Amino acid sequence: MKKLIYFSIGIIVVLFCAPIATFAQEKPIVIGAPLATAFLYGWDAERGIKLAADEINTAGGVNVAGKKRLLKIEVIDTRDLEPGVPVADALLAVEKLILEKKADFIVGGPVRSEAALAAMDLLSKHKKISILTTGVLTPAYSKRIAENYGKYKYCFRNSSEVPPMMGDFMALLEDLHKTKGFNKAYIMVQDVAHARAGGEYMKKALSEKKWEVVDMKIYPTGTTDYSQGLIDSGKKGAQILFLWMDMPESAALLQQWSNMKLKSLPMGFMNAAEQPGFWKATGGKGEYMIVNLVNGGNAPAKITPWTMKFVEAYKKKWGLEPEGYGTSSSYMAVYQLKDAIERAKTTESDAVIAALESQDFMGVYGRMRFDKKTHQIIHSWDPKEGAVTGMIQWQAGKRVQIFPPKVAEGKILLPPWMK
Amino acid sequence: MDEIVKEEIEGNVEIIIYGIINSIILSLMALGFTLVYSIARVPNFAHGALYITTGYITWILLNKLTGFPYPLAIAIAICVTAVIGALIYRFILIRVRGMEISEIIATYAIGLAILEGLRWGGLRGGTFTLPPFISGSVQLFGVSVDYQRLLIVGIGIVTFACLYLFTHFNRVGLALRGIAQDERAAMMLGIDSDMTAIVSLAIGSGLAGFAAILLLPLGNIIVEVGYNVLIFAIAVCVIGGLGSWGGTILASFIIGFAQILTEAFLSTHYQMVVALFAIIITLLIKPSGIFGKQKELEERV
Repeated sequence: MKKLIYFSIGIIVVLFCAPIATFAQEKPIVIGAPLATAFLYGWDAERGIKLAADEINTAGGVNVAGKKRLLKIEVIDTRDLEPGVPVADALLAVEKLILEKKADFIVGGPVRSEAALAAMDLLSKHKKISILTTGVLTPAYSKRIAENYGKYKYCFRNSSEVPPMMGDFMALLEDLHKTKGFNKAYIMVQDVAHARAGGEYMKKALSEKKWEVVDMKIYPTGTTDYSQGLIDSGKKGAQILFLWMDMPESAALLQQWSNMKLKSLPMGFMNAAEQPGFWKATGGKGEYMIVNLVNGGNAPAKITPWTMKFVEAYKKKWGLEPEGYGTSSSYMAVYQLKDAIERAKTTESDAVIAALESQDFMGVYGRMRFDKKTHQIIHSWDPKEGAVTGMIQWQAGKRVQIFPPKVAEGKILLPPWMK
Repeated sequence: MDEIVKEEIEGNVEIIIYGIINSIILSLMALGFTLVYSIARVPNFAHGALYITTGYITWILLNKLTGFPYPLAIAIAICVTAVIGALIYRFILIRVRGMEISEIIATYAIGLAILEGLRWGGLRGGTFTLPPFISGSVQLFGVSVDYQRLLIVGIGIVTFACLYLFTHFNRVGLALRGIAQDERAAMMLGIDSDMTAIVSLAIGSGLAGFAAILLLPLGNIIVEVGYNVLIFAIAVCVIGGLGSWGGTILASFIIGFAQILTEAFLSTHYQMVVALFAIIITLLIKPSGIFGKQKELEERV
């Protein structure tokens, strides 16, 4: 009888204590995510990061030199996309992640360029590897890494930047020039630094290609009436409306454009037109708008075998399609870290940096490779060569990938009143 | 030559049409704020928050309850906003009545709490919109104008007329005017000052909601719009003279046309500057505003 009691106790101990002991053996790898969580580029990144972490943890975690370690995500609101919030607040958020939450790695933001550039010194000071995945489009980030590699080698960016994005737009416009004879563009941008710079960049690039930029209008944040500019564009015979705005009110621009039946095709970088809910929000008036989602996979597309797998997993977990810029890259960054840590067999910064620099695998939006000097993801129009962009057009309520040609699933459609 | 003349005429018609639309929009934004100040002498800095609240309630009714009728959603949202306005006075402002700074702080804090509460509660992103009453556009003297904007002009004018009739021929409206003109004398005649203030807050908040229902289909329901509406309402009221309805309408036309002219002849990104510049000019030349009755600068908000 005694033997039976001891045996039963032994079984209970094994059943209840052994799993705890196994998990308690290794402490989790903490990934800090500084994000502007009240904004699209923050909440979609957060969802992407959490989805990847869940998948990795379900599969057993990260194999660090034979020991399985789970991922723990610590998200902090940087509020850096809110008007009037100083850069210092975002830096405090990053520092809090490092010092209080004991983050081993940083993934995501800060989201605004100014804050991300300022955070580089902080990351360098604490020797923390960061993969920037959303919001920051400035080429100054990668340039800074190349200019002072020793100091900023901890910083990586797996999302695109302004020069390749503009290259994508120009290729698309040149194609429209050849096939449709378009040669007049009208630029409308928001009165914020990145949009003004984007507008100026496009104005220069178009002029060099013999396009006529008939005017460029800069709108204050919060504008809901674009009638004067739109009427003007119609009078001047613009065939392309190039837009660069990250305010939600810009959806009104497309409603007015559609109501006026202007003979121009809208395209650009427009936050309001990225989300799946845009169609319903504009009552379908945003149809034909061409939007750059920066990276592939931020909308359903068949770029690599992993793209739709990611889209379906995202839909299952969050109940809607990936919403916009920052989703696929944030998801991918967690897998990039996992791959690098497993190959480095440690979480020690220098070894993981070397592993990230030599990384080469097929991800959600193409081949994932970092440039060794700039730590910028290598961009390409072929997913077998590098990371491809997510250029979509709204067609019958869906976001259809229309560029680059190798992964395009549809052709550019013109509004019926343009034909 | 004829082409050039035609283009110039079209350009002028454009400015006139969109100038009128913009002016009516501004006056609708400011009407509730002016009404509350003219009667209760309370600067309602929660005005923008109440504006957005109405839009959000309507959106919830339309999108979360399948098949909910749009007119009923509008009516419920405006009523709820009016009740919120009345409750704000009954439970908060009544305690600080007459202390201008406290009134400003209290109403601004309430507005801030509502707006940031909505953001925290999920009002984020660009997908919250209200459908226009009538979709599409029409050519008016060669200028394309959408039906919603034309409706705004029509309903705006009717609203001004109704408010005039209400305050000149209705018992409650006359009581409101009585309090606005001379509070002590009105109280001696048996008009309850606090009850009048509650009614004015309710009507003012309802007007903010009414403006929201008309104007939000032109854009999105977002928290930032609440702050912008408050800024424009204050700008219009300061220039027109705090508490003056005639001044509010006149100031709306001044700012409305100034913005359109700035866009046409100067640059689009000075639109906001125009409103703020007009405030500075008004404060320098006539601190009480165009039709303002307050003479002391200290009395001003």
